[in-house]
Amino acid sequence: MMIGKVFGHYRIIAKLGEGGMGVVYRAHDEVLERDVALKFLGATLDSEARHTLLEEARAASALSHPNICTVHEVGESGGEFYIVMELIEGKSLSDLIGSHGLAYQTVMRYGSQISSALSHAHGRGIIHRDLKTSNVMATPEGLIRVLDFGLARRIVSVAPDEGTRSMRRPDAPGSTGGTLPYMAPEMLRGEPGDHRSDLWALGVVLYELLTAQLPFRGRTSFELSSAIIHEAPAPLPPRIPPGLAAIILRCLAKEPAMRYQRAGEVQAALDAVQVVGPAAEPANGPRGLHTIVHRGTKHLVVRNGDVLVLAGTMKGAFLLRSTARRARWEIAGPYFHGQQIYALAWDGRDGRHRVWASTTNMWGSFLRSSDDYGRTWTDPVEAPIRFPADSGATLKNIWQILMGRPTEPNVMYCGVEPAALFESCDDGQNWSLVRGLFDHPHRPRWMPGMGGLALHTILLDPQSNERMYVAISAGGVYATEDGGRTWQARNRGVRVVYTPDKYPEFGQCVHKITLHPARPERLFLQNHWGLYRSDNYGEGWQDIAHGVPSDFGYTIVAHPHDPGCVYIVPIESDEFRCTPEGRLRVYRTRNAGESWEALTRGLPQKRAYETVLRDSMAVDSLEPAGIYFGTRSGQIYASPDDGKNWERIAEGLPPVVCVKAAVVGERAARRSPAGNRKARKK
Amino acid sequence: MALTFLLPGPLRSFAGGNAEVTIEQPAAVLAEALESLWQHYPGLRDRMATEQGQIREHINVFVGSDDVRYTGGLQTPVAGGAEISIIPAISGGAISPRIEGSS
Repeated sequence: MMIGKVFGHYRIIAKLGEGGMGVVYRAHDEVLERDVALKFLGATLDSEARHTLLEEARAASALSHPNICTVHEVGESGGEFYIVMELIEGKSLSDLIGSHGLAYQTVMRYGSQISSALSHAHGRGIIHRDLKTSNVMATPEGLIRVLDFGLARRIVSVAPDEGTRSMRRPDAPGSTGGTLPYMAPEMLRGEPGDHRSDLWALGVVLYELLTAQLPFRGRTSFELSSAIIHEAPAPLPPRIPPGLAAIILRCLAKEPAMRYQRAGEVQAALDAVQVVGPAAEPANGPRGLHTIVHRGTKHLVVRNGDVLVLAGTMKGAFLLRSTARRARWEIAGPYFHGQQIYALAWDGRDGRHRVWASTTNMWGSFLRSSDDYGRTWTDPVEAPIRFPADSGATLKNIWQILMGRPTEPNVMYCGVEPAALFESCDDGQNWSLVRGLFDHPHRPRWMPGMGGLALHTILLDPQSNERMYVAISAGGVYATEDGGRTWQARNRGVRVVYTPDKYPEFGQCVHKITLHPARPERLFLQNHWGLYRSDNYGEGWQDIAHGVPSDFGYTIVAHPHDPGCVYIVPIESDEFRCTPEGRLRVYRTRNAGESWEALTRGLPQKRAYETVLRDSMAVDSLEPAGIYFGTRSGQIYASPDDGKNWERIAEGLPPVVCVKAAVVGERAARRSPAGNRKARKK
Repeated sequence: MALTFLLPGPLRSFAGGNAEVTIEQPAAVLAEALESLWQHYPGLRDRMATEQGQIREHINVFVGSDDVRYTGGLQTPVAGGAEISIIPAISGGAISPRIEGSS
């Protein structure tokens, strides 16, 4: 009998239960004068396994989250391995299910909390590996506590009889060692599994909570494994809200890549269903997989080969679509009604068709994505881009979203205000501040321009993975040659008008820079005043404002195929920030700035006092190239033929601050600039 | 000791769709009360506060009828049974009930 025995400073009071991983007792901590749960693992471990188990238990004990049972201590006494945990006054979900399952509202509430626990642990590299209804407790107040994080794999691998035992009674949820019914197909195939295997188990748990049945059944472990690997889950009863059913089915996708990729997405989706409820669900169409489901707008139907124009405005995002002829345009939106959309981006790498957006309102700046052309968007529980505590900085806005090179399909960058660069190496899930730039000694002396102190432009050298450029208003151009570790100011020859020193090392109010993939040593720059070209990776700049009505302006965009060809929209002055003479003219050079020509056909030439902001012009990759720009007065113009003819494709929008263009389904490799027959040298 | 939070439309989708949530947890000051709110509803944290832990500029928090800006900010005492209201400031610009899920 264990009752009354003392281990370390814990006196055992009562037996609480017996689980797959050992016996649990209620014990009294004689030092801290509190009751705890003491679990004996009951496995005989060799020294290496013991060491690994200790390491993992320590990692798990570092988790601190309201939905994760706190591990106080891991220890060993008399050859017995034990874990001291927070004592939870509640019941395991397996005990709560009963014979008919729980109300779906309860299941969503519990599911949201379990997702939150998983999200927290996954973010810290800890995978549960044995999530099941008997491992999750609910308190009388409805608070969820997930137990035994990260302990399962070790235990299973060192105590194979556990697995065998579970396979004898595969249909008994919550029975001792009931592991098999929750195992993901990839784990049954012998793969190690990852955090998405936990999301599978979450799908099984949710299914079971709703129906008191397991989604996959079999009389023997072989039959059960086979059902998990090959068969669709048993249909959910019709009383389950379709949005909730869709979430569970997505968790139970056989291929990890087809599931949610993050626990936070499951949580967001569950929370959304809570709001919408079954009665408000539309009769058809994709539902509730993400938090935000846009209704009240007719969405675009997009096919491969179509051209997509993304327009960000001060009051929402709009999506426009045309065939490759670019003759007729459909528009959908606003998405994120009322929010400022300073940045949009298209990710077509690796077969993706993903739109990214930054949204800003009084509730903060969030990065979101849509894989279905705006029907549904992610709504992150936590802000994905955040300054670390020691920086003291607070995110104001996300000004630029840029995909990494085609050879780095999971890399993304964001330029933000206050001026800083963020980088993600996992497809936008986790972001980190690029310290090499943030800690640059110049940074305290950068000054905000009229739009704020923003890092608004990021350029990647397509031929060198180590070289990239950023443009900061008002800090100037900075470049790295070592993948972001160190940065150098690249502003020599760029004039400033607002300091006594007209050619300082940095502090220029650069409005936009651009480069052509075929000539990456050559950059073009539109300054607060001044139009420049560099032929040596930004080391030095020369004035190219030959024959433009004003060298003030915001935007500058390189032609997709012709490395000598660049487009600008001159603005009269910093006092009168409108097109000169009330004429809306795009200027083009085809000889790298030696001379410029006005492009006006189809553009208003009377009383057109327009402003085209720095990120409001874009090109597509077709031949001839499509050129697009948006105005502060809410109009979008397009040219399907390199700028020769223009047409207004949208009007009456809120002020446009961002325009991007993409050809859907186009593989980046097909457009190798080196192989372009029209590429011409200056 | 129960704390009651009144939430504006755009935040409700992160609190199970509720306009009002009650949390049974002791709290001496507003910071503790908000911490338990955010632990229960994690999506509210980054929407109400910056990453440096400050309440966002255009969001007003009231304990009872007191604007906490004038009663000690996050250190405002919170009595048992307190009603804490989170309300967008007039100057806050557009909010977007349709988008935030309350369609």
